[in-house]
Amino acid sequence: MSGLRPNVLVVEDDPDIRRFLRATLTADGYRVVESASGRRAAIDAGTHKPDVAIVDLGLPDLDGVELIRRIRQWSPMPIIVLSARTQETSKIEALDAGADDYVTKPFAVGELLARLRVALRHARRGPGGHCLLRLSTASVDLEQRRVTRAGRAVHLTPIEFRLLACMAKHLGMVVTHRQLLTEVWGPTHERDTHYLRVYMKQLRDKLEEDPMQPRHLITETGVGYRLVAEEEGDFVGEDGN
Amino acid sequence: MKLSGNWTGYGAAVAATGAATLAGWAITPRFDLVNVAMVYLLAVVVVAYRFARGPAVLASVASVAAFDVLFVPPRGTFSVHDLQYMLTFAIMLAVGLLISGLMDRVRRQAAERAALEIASETERIRSALLASISHDLRTPLAVMAGASSALAASGERMSAAERNALARSVFEQARDMSDHVASVLQMARLETGAIELERDWAALPEIVASVLDRLRERLAAHRVLLDLPGDLPLVRVNAALIEQALGNLLENAARHTAAGTVVRVRARQEDRQLVVSVEDFGPGLPDGDLERLFAKFQHGASESSGGGTGLGLAICRAIVRLHGGRVWAERVPGGGAAFRFTLAIEPAPQVPPEPGP
Repeated sequence: MSGLRPNVLVVEDDPDIRRFLRATLTADGYRVVESASGRRAAIDAGTHKPDVAIVDLGLPDLDGVELIRRIRQWSPMPIIVLSARTQETSKIEALDAGADDYVTKPFAVGELLARLRVALRHARRGPGGHCLLRLSTASVDLEQRRVTRAGRAVHLTPIEFRLLACMAKHLGMVVTHRQLLTEVWGPTHERDTHYLRVYMKQLRDKLEEDPMQPRHLITETGVGYRLVAEEEGDFVGEDGN
Repeated sequence: MKLSGNWTGYGAAVAATGAATLAGWAITPRFDLVNVAMVYLLAVVVVAYRFARGPAVLASVASVAAFDVLFVPPRGTFSVHDLQYMLTFAIMLAVGLLISGLMDRVRRQAAERAALEIASETERIRSALLASISHDLRTPLAVMAGASSALAASGERMSAAERNALARSVFEQARDMSDHVASVLQMARLETGAIELERDWAALPEIVASVLDRLRERLAAHRVLLDLPGDLPLVRVNAALIEQALGNLLENAARHTAAGTVVRVRARQEDRQLVVSVEDFGPGLPDGDLERLFAKFQHGASESSGGGTGLGLAICRAIVRLHGGRVWAERVPGGGAAFRFTLAIEPAPQVPPEPGP
């Protein structure tokens, strides 16, 4: 993390979209580096060492997915993808290639800023940083492998726990079906989406107040899942807004 | 006429002659030969009415032959003593040709009229599309141009609240317009078959929760009740498309019913299909054919109160049909409307059980 003001790399070919992104991000306290093309971005990502990158998927010169692969070869920086509704497939490819989250165009900047904050918190936390999560009345201690709800112990099966832990590793961000399936069940099961449907229901039944209207184990239709939970302890006060 | 159609016609000609012969046998003891000839004439008329000229001629020839051989003495031979039966034959042939000719013309005219109707329906949709674009897109464009130019020209002299209100209206109009354009494009893609249906196992409650989340603002004024059994089977669908279909039904319900009323989402397993319903307690559906509600640019009764693209239900129907399902509307007794669609339930693959603790 360089200094107090995080450095954002904006990869977007449309000058009008760059303009409003620059205006908002600067107003929200970010330093902004702009790249109008994919090749330029691949270089800028190396020289400016941004804390986070926003990548438009519809770049003229270099496929956004390809750019993400290149960045991922050497950097774990969070990457947020901007995608149009017609780019569903490449959005999932981008996430599988290592992007951390996405915002669909047209978007309200508030949504983008919220995603940025989550992504930066994630980067700051580093691998395996947090361990105590709160989901309404349920708390999850990932290290101790202990789950309670309203004070009572809740038993999670090994697979349920692995699934929850896998989502917790990307807390607040989307995790694709393929990522979850390969991490929890192994690469031979990367297409067995029905496993996820069944186990996610079990997890919700155990952890959500209203499993039919979940507030923590969120479905990203056609893409994957997102765990929304509060962290306890570690990072209080570090992220002001 | 197609060859296969022709063969059906000739088959029918033979069958009709056979039937007339049986009927003739049945009535001969008590009726004149002339009446038997009438039965054959009826057979010829029926064949000529239903089929083309060829079968009509066959029916005439076969009828006269059968009549002559089986009924006109001496039976069992073709010897025509009586010239009047030649006349019977001529009349049958003439009637057959005349009616098949008439029917031919009627059929041709019907086909032309159908083609004209299709053309005028296309024209209606084209003009509705233009009206939709010019009204539904130009109004928000005017708001956006006006509000943003006001901000650019005299933003500094406005209060923060005024600036905010203008900026918000630009955003809201742009968002609605973007939805609108997306609908028009989606409809076009569904119609041209440009959408490749990628299916995967999905849980309906997840789709419902996701769409309610997405439409939270638009449904804020209504009370949404869920009636989803906990043991619904998985369905193999394109979840994003089904979410859109369901979302369109929910938006439709919200648009046509008063604030504060209940909108209910329910699902039931019936035999090998899942029936998903969106039920409201609003003013109900207009009189007439409910199927028309699903036509493109078919605004409901309360158009002025609602807005909407006129594509929501059409898109919903196209998506459900793409999945091999059926969608329909029902009037709910005591007021209100129900929109329901079906999804096939296929046997889901096994999920290996976890060893117990």
